[in-house]
Formats: sequence, C-alpha cells, structure tokens
Amino acid sequence: MKVLFYGRLAEAIGPELEIDAPPGCSVGELRERLIVEHPQAERPLRSRRALACVGDSLVRDSYVLQAADRVEFLPPVSGG
Amino acid sequence: MSVVARLEERSLRPDQELAALIEQAKGDGAVVSFAGIARPGSKEGETVYRLMLEHHPALTLQSLEEIAVEAAARFDVSHVRVVHRCGDIAAGEPIVFAAAAARHRRAAFEAADYLMDRLKTEAVFWKREVGEAGSEWIEPTEADYADRDRWG
Repeated sequence: MKVLFYGRLAEAIGPELEIDAPPGCSVGELRERLIVEHPQAERPLRSRRALACVGDSLVRDSYVLQAADRVEFLPPVSGG
Repeated sequence: MSVVARLEERSLRPDQELAALIEQAKGDGAVVSFAGIARPGSKEGETVYRLMLEHHPALTLQSLEEIAVEAAARFDVSHVRVVHRCGDIAAGEPIVFAAAAARHRRAAFEAADYLMDRLKTEAVFWKREVGEAGSEWIEPTEADYADRDRWG
C-alpha cells in the first residue's frame, strides 16, 4: 500500500512509503505503526489538526484500508 | 453571481485581480479586497528571505473553491474572487488575494473577512519560512482557529 506525506511529515519521514498493511488495518492502526517506525514524526502524526485522506477524501481513524488504497497523511494546513 | 478560485504557481498581481473584479461588479456599490504579503521578518524578529508554499495536487484547489463558494452562499454578495500563490514566494511578494463585491458594503467586508479566516486555517497548504535562522514550518495559531470559529 502506498502512503504519502506532505509538509513537515514529508520532511520527517519522506514523501512516500510502500507499506504492507494487514487486512482489516484501520487508518488509526496504520498511524500507530508509523509512529513506532518513525518516532521523529510522532508529534505531527498525533496532532489533532492532522488529517488523513484516501482517494482525495478525508477519512477518520476508524476507516478500514483496502489493499489498493493510497493513503495520505496531511499535517495541519495553513493558507493566506 | 460569479465565483473565481485560482491557484497561481508563478505570480499574483492583486492590482489586476482587483481591476478585473471591479469590471465584473458593475451595478454593485461595494468591492472589498484583501492582499496578503509575505513578511520579511519572523515572529522572533529574524530576517525571512522567502516562503515556500507546498500544495496538494487535488485538495488545494478544491479547498479554495469550497471556501469561495461557501462565502458566496453565506453573504449577500454578487462576486467572490480568491487567488492563492503556491511554490517559492520571496519576502514582499503577494501570497493571496481575497475579495468580494456586493450591492452594499457590509456584506462585502464580512465576506472578505470570512474568506481570510477560513483560508488561514483550511486552505490546503504547508508553509515554510526560510531565513537567517534556517527553515521553519508555520502553522495556524490558536488565535487563527478562534477567528475561524467565530463564523460557526
């Protein structure tokens, strides 16, 4: 499964990872695994303002991932 | 009624955007516009050379459109225009233009204020200041989120 990162998350982890997520893995479980494997990204991954997206739609931590999904983790956004 | 939401990779000319909006707004009595400029100094007072505005290939423009459309629906305005830069922006260059035209001034002021409060906290960009102190990610402050939450 392809996992993409932006902003400070891309700086901490890299822009893209290929991850073998087990069947039934949720976005929240994937986030916990990323924190274990990339502890330097814990703070932005846990931020309550961080978002997760699948197919350009926002998803909650309870969303169960499919093998073909492309997951994106977005740190807090800011324009203007 | 018109709603314009654009992402500009190279340059943004607030004067031209304002002229285009005034041209469109014939028959209206008010045009209110805001231009956001990249500051040459950080919060700590250090020199900032540039702002790097990273964006998402789909979600960024989608967020600009959503905010502009919702402003047009919420206030009694006839035209809304949002143009946002992305990429490498030198200090002193414009980052964003947000404006509204209306029959009367109050709605235009409110729509412009609303546009900026939402753009600061919901437009999908990741902002990094590059200056004498190195490079620093800039995120909205609690005051920015409180400003947005005023609108419910």
